Amino acid sequence: MTHLLSHLASVALAASPPAEGAARAAAPVLGRVVEGPWTAVLIPGLPLLAAVLVALCAAGRVRSKLPAWITVGCLAGAFAAAVQTYLAVVHQPGLAQGVRVLEWIHLSWGEKPGQSFAADFGLYLDSLTMLWMLFVTGLATLIALYASEYMAHDLGAGYNRFYFAFALFVFSMSCLVMGDNLILLYLGWEGVGLCSYLLIGYFYKKPSAVAAAKKAFIMNRIGDLGLALGIMLTFVQFGSVRYAEIFEAAAPYLTLAGEGRIGEIPLLIQLIPVLFTVGAFGKSAQLPLYVWLPDAMEGPTPVSALIHAATMVTAGVYLVARFLPLYQCSTWALPIVAWTGAGTALLAATIGMAQFDIKRIMAYSTVSQLGYMFAGLGVLTSAGAAYHVFTHAFFKATLFLGCGAVMHGFAGQLDLRKLSGVAFMKGWGIVGLAMLVGCLNLAGFPFTAGFFSKDMILAEAFASPTYQALGWVLLFTAGLTAYYTFRVFFRVFIGPKFYEPGDELHAHDDHGHGHGGAHGHGDGHGHAPAKAKATADAAHDFHPHAPGWAINVVMVLLTVGSILAAYPYLISWVPGLIDASSARVIEVAHGGEHAHGTFFGYDPHAVMYYVSAIVGAVGIIFAFVLHFVGRTGAATAKADALLPVFGPLARWAQNKWYVDEFYNFLVRVPLLVISHVLHLADKLLVDGLVDLAGFMPQAAGRGLRRQQTGALNGYAFGMVLGVGVIAAIGAVLLW
Amino acid sequence: MLLALILIPLLTAAVVPLAPKRSVGQVALLGTLVALALAAYLTLGRDWSGPDAGRDLAVSAPWMPELGLVFKLGTDGLSMSLVALTALLGPICVACSFTAVTQRVRTYYGWLLVLQAAMTGVFLARDMILFYVFFEFTLVPMFVLISLYGSTNRKAAAVKFFLYTFTGSVIALAGIVYAAWFNANRVDAADPVAKALVAASPDLVLGRWTFDLASLQAAASRFMSAETQWWVFLALLCGFAVKVPLVPVHTWLPLAHTEAPTAGSVVLAGVLLKLGTYGLLKIAIGLCPAGAMAWAPTIGLLCLLGIVGAGLICWVQTDVKKLVAYSSVAHLGFCVLGLFAFNDAGVQGSVLYMINHGLSTGALFLCIGMIYERYHTRSMREIGGLAARMPIWATFMVFFTMASVGLPGLNGFVSEFLCLLGAFQAGDVWRSHPLTVGGTGGNLGPYVAAIAGTGMIIAAMYLLYMLGHVVFGPLREPHHDEHHSASGGAHDAEPRLPADLTAREIGVLAPLAVLCLVLGVYPKPLMRMVDPGVKEVIAAVEGARTQRPATRPVAEGDAGAAPALATQEAAR
Repeated sequence: MTHLLSHLASVALAASPPAEGAARAAAPVLGRVVEGPWTAVLIPGLPLLAAVLVALCAAGRVRSKLPAWITVGCLAGAFAAAVQTYLAVVHQPGLAQGVRVLEWIHLSWGEKPGQSFAADFGLYLDSLTMLWMLFVTGLATLIALYASEYMAHDLGAGYNRFYFAFALFVFSMSCLVMGDNLILLYLGWEGVGLCSYLLIGYFYKKPSAVAAAKKAFIMNRIGDLGLALGIMLTFVQFGSVRYAEIFEAAAPYLTLAGEGRIGEIPLLIQLIPVLFTVGAFGKSAQLPLYVWLPDAMEGPTPVSALIHAATMVTAGVYLVARFLPLYQCSTWALPIVAWTGAGTALLAATIGMAQFDIKRIMAYSTVSQLGYMFAGLGVLTSAGAAYHVFTHAFFKATLFLGCGAVMHGFAGQLDLRKLSGVAFMKGWGIVGLAMLVGCLNLAGFPFTAGFFSKDMILAEAFASPTYQALGWVLLFTAGLTAYYTFRVFFRVFIGPKFYEPGDELHAHDDHGHGHGGAHGHGDGHGHAPAKAKATADAAHDFHPHAPGWAINVVMVLLTVGSILAAYPYLISWVPGLIDASSARVIEVAHGGEHAHGTFFGYDPHAVMYYVSAIVGAVGIIFAFVLHFVGRTGAATAKADALLPVFGPLARWAQNKWYVDEFYNFLVRVPLLVISHVLHLADKLLVDGLVDLAGFMPQAAGRGLRRQQTGALNGYAFGMVLGVGVIAAIGAVLLW
Repeated sequence: MLLALILIPLLTAAVVPLAPKRSVGQVALLGTLVALALAAYLTLGRDWSGPDAGRDLAVSAPWMPELGLVFKLGTDGLSMSLVALTALLGPICVACSFTAVTQRVRTYYGWLLVLQAAMTGVFLARDMILFYVFFEFTLVPMFVLISLYGSTNRKAAAVKFFLYTFTGSVIALAGIVYAAWFNANRVDAADPVAKALVAASPDLVLGRWTFDLASLQAAASRFMSAETQWWVFLALLCGFAVKVPLVPVHTWLPLAHTEAPTAGSVVLAGVLLKLGTYGLLKIAIGLCPAGAMAWAPTIGLLCLLGIVGAGLICWVQTDVKKLVAYSSVAHLGFCVLGLFAFNDAGVQGSVLYMINHGLSTGALFLCIGMIYERYHTRSMREIGGLAARMPIWATFMVFFTMASVGLPGLNGFVSEFLCLLGAFQAGDVWRSHPLTVGGTGGNLGPYVAAIAGTGMIIAAMYLLYMLGHVVFGPLREPHHDEHHSASGGAHDAEPRLPADLTAREIGVLAPLAVLCLVLGVYPKPLMRMVDPGVKEVIAAVEGARTQRPATRPVAEGDAGAAPALATQEAAR
């Protein structure tokens, strides 16, 4: 075992980590674009076609699975086009390819640089783009297939609506990733936000779903403002919003940064990536804007899997990777990214440990893993971050779809205290196995894809002398991750067989709404036997229906994908792609000896495999002991006995550290008060003075003459007042 | 041709009272469709991107020669785009009223058509008094529409609307008259600058009484001192700011919008508010560029107040129509902000904003009107979750809300982003950063843009709050409709409407939806069309900017700058 591990590790080491200074591919030529293959247009084009066709289905009131097959077909075509484009792109490594489609916004007010504004529908194809598009289109195809069965209860208008937003999402995501300018990226950025809004609010009659959708959109908009200001600053500084031209204009600064003279770069240039970061944190659910993602689980599970785990939420990571040249020109941007990422990873993991809703646990783990990716970018292993995005996309989609299958089969039940031993039930073997593979990946079990990708980030953190503390945070979080992941597995999927159907079957108020989002109000001990009996009676007629062929096929494919996602590590596939794109990390010349961080005197790249394997194993063992050994029912486990030890901490974590309440109290309530005051001021002061001066609104039916004479004074007075205010402000500002 | 654009609705209005009651609507629809066809032919049938495009269409006839009044109509791409918007909303306003208005239909359609003619006239007038006449005349039909066909508080709203805007425009008239007086009495036609101007464009009338727009603009912008311009601009601002409306003279708008019949609200939001921005853009800035520049920071501040303040006020409304009405104040804040950036991005964005706001907000008012027809309430406490009852309507509502919220890919985004970008560029802060290439300098700047940018978040807050209440959530319908829920409003006199939209209603909304999408994805033709007009405004301001510094050496100034300065000094 150890032998095999070290053998594999050495194979991998010889092949990969770029920071080791091993042979790297030639630096990419940034700022030059050659003509790309037209088939690339099909990648966004086919999903758009699907959206249009599904919209026609909706208009024609189609009540069959036709929209699903249209979408699956178009997305599969997009995936094929992505593969083909990928081959064309890697054929010319280091050279970006462009395809122009349609002129969009063009302005010109002079001949000099910076005196024209051009944003087109054009594609920018390099290896970073194609890495993203491969897993986006591939996973979208599979999840669309899965959803064809999952959403079947809603055939008709709902089904059409679902697939319309689904296809539109893939189109928007393609624009985001493939666009050749920041404005098109922004289009995709907000487009995926819209689809996310529509899909979170899919069950639109449910107030909690509507609220969650709104929250997601607004939280994202806060980030979008940062991105928009960053785009404007980029334009003002570089005179363009096109990637190629930005990179060209930024090249001198990058050279400065490479020479270690980062202090000489103008502050405004350094500010651009910081503004981008605000956008990235909104879209990718990082502190302080992460609170929308857990609530986004109100959407149908395939949506959670595709949008809120695998693809959309990685857009922030893509943005940072795409503009890594600018990030490396900034003194603050990367430390902000790194520490926010690590902080989010830890915070979300602590919340995830204390939740009872398995889908929410997965949501918090997504937030946490996104934190890892940002930490990876921050410590300058863009390859590690991108690889973690890639592996995470597979295993998290697997986990979500597994949870979805459970939810589907048990009438919406997601409480881990009400399910046990699912994997042993008839027809649930495939799901159980898939969940095991997904959990192993997430927990960072040796030789899994998740293990390798997490390692790249951890090792790089320890290897960097300034990020030792961050490395420890991430390592500790890895242990927590392993624990909460297997807490779900040991409680829900193995152990004694037990189930209680969810509230989609009957009015069962014990779960879900009405508790302010605080699932698990009773820590498990509130479930007295009498109650269990009552619910057992209610569940008497209920039989869980095992997943059908579509779900099983997709689960198998995703499981295989999760396992095979480890293979690219061995051939250093992702580092090769990243090095040939703008996400390549430039080497910074140091004045003196190149400082290199160590892990207790060892090279982190060599020992991190063992360390993280041990940490992961400890987490799994804890989960095993606390949630599996000696557990006889679903509701309680040994872990409950430990709760008093932690005092209020456990309760606080269950209540998500009260961050939502904190925001509500600190931002929403004051804003609401201000709004009401403004409204009142508008009614009383600005308008009321006018009315006071002689307007009788209720004298409607009576003689107009009296009214007019009365009102004329009033309005003349009001006008004079208004004009006086304007003139006063003008005078103050002018003189 | 241009005259026909005004005459067709007017003639139709004359025919309407003669038509039998049943077919009044159809006659009005026919008239507006003919006007639309003509406007479409003029808009699409030629290339508007040249500097002199549309000059051949100009119409000029002596009106009151002793006063220097000329009946002069002219157009350029910018004016034409707004004329086209007016013509487009014409048939839509008529068609949306077929079931909503069943009493006194002749008066209704007649005034609606007169209103369209007046608005078209404003955009085409090239004589200041003619402009003013059309501008003021829009008040009369609107007053009638609100006071006769509005909802409960309609009389108050109509009077308020009329007197508020009337008072403002009287002050504007003073400014116009002063400008004409200045041209007649303070400009010497023998002055070399004046001669050069007349030589360049022989149509100009300098040193004599005239209200010709181009002449007054040439005279005032060249000869009037910056201080005088400041006052004249203030006078014009009084008229136009009320119409836009800018904070703090906006309070007539929520009431007028709320009480007006649906078509009235659509016209009000779609076109009437644009008369204010159009007046600022085409009249005020061209007349007093130096005054406009001096006023830019103040107006920027008022815009920010509108964007943030009115936005927040939207968020606490319970009347859905009032919410959309207040959102107009916030949206027009963006529009005016872009205009006063005085650079390409800003002014282009501002002009596009006029069109786009007309489409998306007009459509939102249509959607709300359809609800009002069915439930006779606009309160978000009484209606909710209508997606369950009216899926087609809900689809349109979400679509237009997204256009309004500025979602990229739809029309609102292009204009909003350009306005913000223009404001961002227009900062003198960039001048102190030598490596900056994209800054244009001006009186706004990145901080203004950042504060205005919060308007994007606030817009999402209030518009999604509206969607969350009216479209989504559990179904809520007014109680008295319980037995008639399938047929909506159960008032005997009115035709019953099905739960979801009728084909006519879809036909009203669909063209707007298509345009929102097209202008969002392919705004290029429209941008090219309005570009000459935009460049003209910027050139006027640039001219004032280069003329102003008194210390500038004569040798460096362009041909007309130095003598103009001398005249300015003399005028003081």
